[in-house]
Amino acid sequence: MSFPSNISDCCVEVDFHQKNCGKQRTGGDVFLSRKLKAQQRVISVLSDGLGSGIKAGVLATLTAVMGINYMSSFRDPAKAARSIMDTLPVCSQRHISYSTFSMVDVDFENDVRIVEYDNPPVMVARENEIINLQRQQIEVARTGKEPAPILLADFHALPGDRIIMISDGVSQSGIGSNSMPFGWGADKAGEYVKTLIVKDPKISAHDLATAIVEKAWLNNGGKALDDITCGVIYFRQPRKLLIMTGPPYDQRKDVMLAELAKNFPGKKIICGGTTANIVSRETGQPVHVLFERIDPDLPPGAAMEGVDLITEGILTVGRVAKYLEDKRDPDNLPQNPATKILRLMLNSDIIDFVVGTRVNEFHQDPNMPVELEIRRNVIKKIAALLEDQQLKETSIQYI
Amino acid sequence: MEKKFKITICSGTTCYVLGGAHLMMLEDVLPDDLKEKVEIIGSTCLQACHGENARAPFVRINDYLMENASIPKIVEYLRTH
Repeated sequence: MSFPSNISDCCVEVDFHQKNCGKQRTGGDVFLSRKLKAQQRVISVLSDGLGSGIKAGVLATLTAVMGINYMSSFRDPAKAARSIMDTLPVCSQRHISYSTFSMVDVDFENDVRIVEYDNPPVMVARENEIINLQRQQIEVARTGKEPAPILLADFHALPGDRIIMISDGVSQSGIGSNSMPFGWGADKAGEYVKTLIVKDPKISAHDLATAIVEKAWLNNGGKALDDITCGVIYFRQPRKLLIMTGPPYDQRKDVMLAELAKNFPGKKIICGGTTANIVSRETGQPVHVLFERIDPDLPPGAAMEGVDLITEGILTVGRVAKYLEDKRDPDNLPQNPATKILRLMLNSDIIDFVVGTRVNEFHQDPNMPVELEIRRNVIKKIAALLEDQQLKETSIQYI
Repeated sequence: MEKKFKITICSGTTCYVLGGAHLMMLEDVLPDDLKEKVEIIGSTCLQACHGENARAPFVRINDYLMENASIPKIVEYLRTH
């Protein structure tokens, strides 16, 4: 069985981590990322505003937002840079307007364009090495000022590549200390990136960015002497999740359901007691109900070899829909089967639903104390929420 | 040691909403003398609710299928068998 999916073999994961300078409540560095769904592009900007706190935050925010907008409309990067520099307000103390930036534009074929101005160089990690990018320098004329040097680079990203953007709070961390009198330096930071990747070749964008920022912070003796920011773009295999719920309309398809449970390349969830029993019967794997009484409103989950999670059907998926609608964070929810489903969904990129359409007449009995929705409708709602709010790819197949 | 009774509690949707949720606490509320004699497991669905006049929730005690099960009913059954 195949699933329609318009995503390539590689998906782009973007995340960042940040510590504000000193005790500032506002960051002077800004990391922004935007996914243009129709064009399948992802644009990310790291901008460092002059100084720290609110003033720097305003400069960096203006720069990042303008940068993303210019890049989205394919404007010439030199013109974009010039417009940004001419637009920024002038600092009343220093009498200059200044905000550095690195912009990374990834298109649907994983062709990457990088535009940099005065930030530490953007790093590209490929197979445990930091690769050397060919950069082209152009001079951007500015109104009433010296021309500014902008660096441009293009490359084709391969699966497994990572792009690491850092602010000078990272490269200059530890400055003045005995061990690194001139600061950590972008090269040393690159070495550290390599050791992190060697240690954990599948480290997520989130974890890598966090580890780099934490190290820079430690270089300063546990202080942020400047805003410290790291953004990571990771080209990785998409994580797939299969959710099987409901018995097939035609019993002859039971075998197909079991085959799918066995062969699907990714995580697997079964929602529904009857569905679990069908798969158990066809594969010969017993189901064990887990007696967890964490949430009295939801029936307990179960376990079966080869399946990541088994839950009850309609009550549990109804709860998942509610959690998604309310944009709940699985870390702040009771650890019931619905929360476990939510967590697996949020950790996946492509979610395929296989919905059995045999109706359990018993659920439509007017004597039932709660109203049970039709499974198909709940799943449709969940898929729409995952697409619109969480930017996931989904497919629904009825059997 | 082999327990005298093997109790299977259905946790399917129908049983659960019709009172089966309380049965999940069976192990906690059983008198001590009975506790030693029973093994309690769950089932994702005992497939017992499909009959015309079936009355959920269901519990299976060894080979006996109890309909409209409740904790007092189970205790009474264990005492008399």
